Amino acid sequence: MSVKNVTLSSGVEGLFIENQRFNTTLISFNFYMPLEKKRVAANALLPFILTSCSKAYPDFSRLNYKLNKLYGARLDASAEKNGDYQLLKMNISVINDRFSIDGESLIKQATDLLLGLIFEPNTENGAFLDTDLEREKRKAIEHIKGEFSEKRIYAKNRLIEEMYRGKVYGIPKCGTVSDVEAITGQSLYEAWEHLLKTAFVRVHVVGAALPAGLFEEVSDRFAKIERLDVVNCKGSRVTEFALEPYKVTECDDIAQGKLCMGFSCEMSGNDDESLPMMVMSDIFGGGPYSRLFANVREKMSLCYYCTASCIRQKGLLIVESGVEAQNCEKAQKEILNQLEIVKKGEFSDFEFESSIKSICDSLNTYNDSLTSLNNWYAIKINNTKLYSPSDIAEKIKKITKQDVIDAANGVNLHTVYKLVPKEVD
Amino acid sequence: MKREIFHSDIGESYIKATLSSGLKVYILEKPQYNSSYAIFGTKYGSIDTCFSVNGDKTRVPEGIAHFLEHKLFESEDGDAFAKYAKTGAYCNAFTSFDRTCYLFSCSDKFYENLDILLSFVQSPYFTKETVEKEQGIIGQEIRMYDDNPGWRVMFNMLKGMYHKHPVRIDIAGTVESIAQIDDQLLYKCYNTFYNPSNMFICIAGNVDAERVLKQIKDSVKPKDSIEIERINEDEPEEVVKPYVSQKLAVAQPIFCLGYKEKIETPERTLKEKVTTALLIEILAGDASPLYKKLITEGLINDEFSSEYFNGNGYAAVIFEGESNDPERVAEEIKAEVERVKAEGIDKKLFSAIRCGMYGNAIRMFDSVDGIAMQFVDCAVCDTGLFDEIKYLRSVTVDDVYRRLLKLDGEKTVLSVIKPMEEA
Repeated sequence: MSVKNVTLSSGVEGLFIENQRFNTTLISFNFYMPLEKKRVAANALLPFILTSCSKAYPDFSRLNYKLNKLYGARLDASAEKNGDYQLLKMNISVINDRFSIDGESLIKQATDLLLGLIFEPNTENGAFLDTDLEREKRKAIEHIKGEFSEKRIYAKNRLIEEMYRGKVYGIPKCGTVSDVEAITGQSLYEAWEHLLKTAFVRVHVVGAALPAGLFEEVSDRFAKIERLDVVNCKGSRVTEFALEPYKVTECDDIAQGKLCMGFSCEMSGNDDESLPMMVMSDIFGGGPYSRLFANVREKMSLCYYCTASCIRQKGLLIVESGVEAQNCEKAQKEILNQLEIVKKGEFSDFEFESSIKSICDSLNTYNDSLTSLNNWYAIKINNTKLYSPSDIAEKIKKITKQDVIDAANGVNLHTVYKLVPKEVD
Repeated sequence: MKREIFHSDIGESYIKATLSSGLKVYILEKPQYNSSYAIFGTKYGSIDTCFSVNGDKTRVPEGIAHFLEHKLFESEDGDAFAKYAKTGAYCNAFTSFDRTCYLFSCSDKFYENLDILLSFVQSPYFTKETVEKEQGIIGQEIRMYDDNPGWRVMFNMLKGMYHKHPVRIDIAGTVESIAQIDDQLLYKCYNTFYNPSNMFICIAGNVDAERVLKQIKDSVKPKDSIEIERINEDEPEEVVKPYVSQKLAVAQPIFCLGYKEKIETPERTLKEKVTTALLIEILAGDASPLYKKLITEGLINDEFSSEYFNGNGYAAVIFEGESNDPERVAEEIKAEVERVKAEGIDKKLFSAIRCGMYGNAIRMFDSVDGIAMQFVDCAVCDTGLFDEIKYLRSVTVDDVYRRLLKLDGEKTVLSVIKPMEEA
């Protein structure tokens, strides 16, 4: 596998991740924008409306028909938070031309289709059409509201909202329902133009060959756009939280309580400096060898899941668990006790080595998945060097127990969010 | 040992071997990959609640197959998680209606990992104390699913559809049913269903098939082959009730509409499954007229999906999603089924969908876990890995139309999860 990075235009890069093992090729457009309350909802709606129709395919049903004809080409859109930036993705993946029964070029057609969707949307007089806009707004609103139905996700989102109250990272990734409601055909068109003019853009190709002429075509398209004030994704603000730590307890009609704890970590989001935190978080609450699994689940039988995960770009560590409301305090106490054990370095060599092996083993599987590779490079935007998964595995192997202890000692509890059944409260 | 090699014109080939113990082994080599994926499984799931071996009939508590899956990770010489921690592999297990699978994925030390898998699945160790400890953990797993609207809407639908068939019960059982499980019952189930003649091993990735086969042959202990009789009471053709609903803390209603099918032979054939998958895409896939109508009228969103749900003694075509008007969605789906029955299938749409499914079947070979999972279907249903691709080249629009005629609008169940505030 090799990775080639080329500059296509001002703030536009092309990344060819050459990998011969797949039957499929993936082309991904990644747009990076600052997270801003006033723009977040319109930006987040763009990948979805753009991949639902275009000038050439005004009807989404015909577009889906065409994708089937391209041997089940897959068109995906997403809007995520990547530190203090919004990452807006539009991908197409298609099986390689050699599988086409009548010899047509599937990759060329898929590439042209994706370019058409992004650069030639179905608009009139500087506005998206009402029918398309209303359809996508409704789906976006239902999606935002729908997070309430998945209690584990809901609890985690509420924790982040509380922990980053008044801060950039506290902005929900797709905005709020009222932000979406306020979008008009004109405002969305303006957001689309603004995106093409200012976003930092990276075009990924993962597969056996670079589609002929793709990078040239992307260069030409952006050369026609006035690229002004292009976003500079230098890095996110780490350890920036709401001033006051919070304890928030909310009630809901649920059977099982949810406990979410947010910790601040003193670290930089950079790959060269934050890796000890990745290992610390894994020893604390990653695999089945971790402190939380072995103690809160296996020894104390308090829960089915109790895990820690680390958002390195933001210096944020989150512990999540599903527990009976009456056991919440007990679980919380034990989670903090386990953190103290890690801080004191009282974890075993077995736990330390298991964690290093598990992380490295998993990193070395990334090369076997188009999506994993695409996602891996998509979030590597704040780093000066584009490390591959195996580069990081090599770095992880050099981490010492003392590095982990030092990382743990920068971890401090900030906010506790609990969702409990109504009758118990 | 009986061994066969299968080739296909998409450049893949695999080995299927049947050991003298009756164990089936499937291996697909991917030398250019870093990783490998292995599954050791048994044809034993939540629906096997009543069975007989040599005339000895046993009824076991609901959820015992899943409970056994949890407990098998513990052996007398330590638990499997700790052994995998030493190699760095990812390991897991799952129990469904008709199968239990133990798996690992790794990019290093494959043969060491395979040894761990072979050893712990063949070394049951249950005691009163370890069983009691697990009741707390699984109790929390069950409670977690109690709050999961996607899970509840499906099981409520199955309870509305089946009178007798155990597919109607939750895979993990209930807090009450798992309280009846003890070590002796676990051993009884283990000794019945974890016989190599009822089991399979499925592997894809960077492995040497010859070495793998030898390792398995040396490790899998031969046992007397047994005849398991799965006892299912007769299931009426009618549904229990056409409508079920429950209130949960959800933002908008969630629905699941199922068409109950008449069962003439216990298992569905590969042709039936693929034809039905085509039919479902033609009826309600994202290129269908129905999907366009439902999206345009604001009745569904991207959560809408459909599947052919089937296994030993049960089969249903299912449509599910979120909607502010689930009853209307159900009416529209039923009306569309009748319209297509009357007007016939759009041949262009059929051809596009078939092309899409063909591409997806080829794409599946990019993923070692996808291949291993597909092997599990091959083992449970006795099919070949390339059968779907072959059949997709020959299936006709008439085959799909004939399949459509079997959907019976009189035998449907609509299950709805409503938000709490709704009456």
